[in-house]
Amino acid sequence: MNKSDVMLLCVSPRHKGTSAMLLERIRVVTGGKLFFLPQKGNLDELVVSMQEAGTIIISGPCYINTYPARMLELLETASLTGKFSGQKLYGIINGGMPYIHTHQHGLICLQLFAEQNHLLWQGGFVLGVGAMLDGKPLEKHMNRRTVVPAFNKFIQNISEGIQSPDSLYIKAQSPPGKLTTRIFAKFLTFLVEKNLKKYGQDPEAPNYYLRKQDDGKQNGSR
Amino acid sequence: MIVIISDDSRGNWGQTLEEAILHIGVQVIRFSADTLQIKPCTACNCCSGKTFGRCIIQDDMQLLFPEIVVCHALVLVSPVIFGNVSHHIKKVMDRMAALGDPRYRVRDGEMVKGMSRQGMTYFMVGIGDDLNEAEHSAFLSLHQENRKIMSVKGQTFILDSRMDKVSLNNIVQEIIHE
Repeated sequence: MNKSDVMLLCVSPRHKGTSAMLLERIRVVTGGKLFFLPQKGNLDELVVSMQEAGTIIISGPCYINTYPARMLELLETASLTGKFSGQKLYGIINGGMPYIHTHQHGLICLQLFAEQNHLLWQGGFVLGVGAMLDGKPLEKHMNRRTVVPAFNKFIQNISEGIQSPDSLYIKAQSPPGKLTTRIFAKFLTFLVEKNLKKYGQDPEAPNYYLRKQDDGKQNGSR
Repeated sequence: MIVIISDDSRGNWGQTLEEAILHIGVQVIRFSADTLQIKPCTACNCCSGKTFGRCIIQDDMQLLFPEIVVCHALVLVSPVIFGNVSHHIKKVMDRMAALGDPRYRVRDGEMVKGMSRQGMTYFMVGIGDDLNEAEHSAFLSLHQENRKIMSVKGQTFILDSRMDKVSLNNIVQEIIHE
């Protein structure tokens, strides 16, 4: 692998979050240039950088079961532009839920993009509970004992320019058992409600847009 | 009421669906996501904290929120692109986090979330000619995961341009009767 033609692309709107942290961890080994997906404006310049790279590593968060909209816009723009010729493509997606299946669609989408646009799909890494890290090192992950070696192996695969199998991240992250799930759900809900109360918000209140409509109706009927 | 949000940049299936629903006398409102100015979600987390349930980004999405929050059925119509929805539709989906309940619940042994107002059904209509098995299955699995995490009922349909009127009417019936 030529270290100078490695493109590490963070597609998260947050530049210091988990997506960027994972790319920095890779860059220590592979070298290359870190890019951030601009959240507005033209994407042509970024597509040119993708065309010029030999290896592209895309890392992003999971929004509603796949990559965010702006990332899809990049793929659509890149596909219209074309001009790819065997660039190696790796993907990383991280999300809040501790399940692989919740986030895996992102990698499937990326693989389909690669196959339809003459890039070489090299595999990816799904990281559950990635959102909780909030940019902190992978060593703070709740499954660090299995996740850290698996991710290091993923980096090694990139470094050697070889395909990374899905089994690598699947084996490293077993879904929590029933009791742990219940405890986890209660704990996270406690944190959510605590945060809402900090801002004086009522977790049980009807949604803002619903309240606004009800207020409008009441004012109109007076 | 039924809300249709369609990406009409590659066809007019949203309008066709709207006309078919109107034809049988059901109230429907349609928005073309590709002509609206909708910015991407910035993950500011305000909607699950400081401005609970309200998105702080002031753009055309503010027109959609009041309609989606009261609708009985939400129908997203999108071209199938790499087994996914288009970025126009995905912007709407990402921003809909403001209508979600940020608290966690357990269903079928797994953690899920829900919508702030229960009872909405959620349909996805994908448009694509000659999709291969992988694209087909990716699109179906995306919507299945969406329904699961949002704790809503609904269905996914994939159409191509050779779709006849009978098949379209069958979809309309499914949407109305779900």
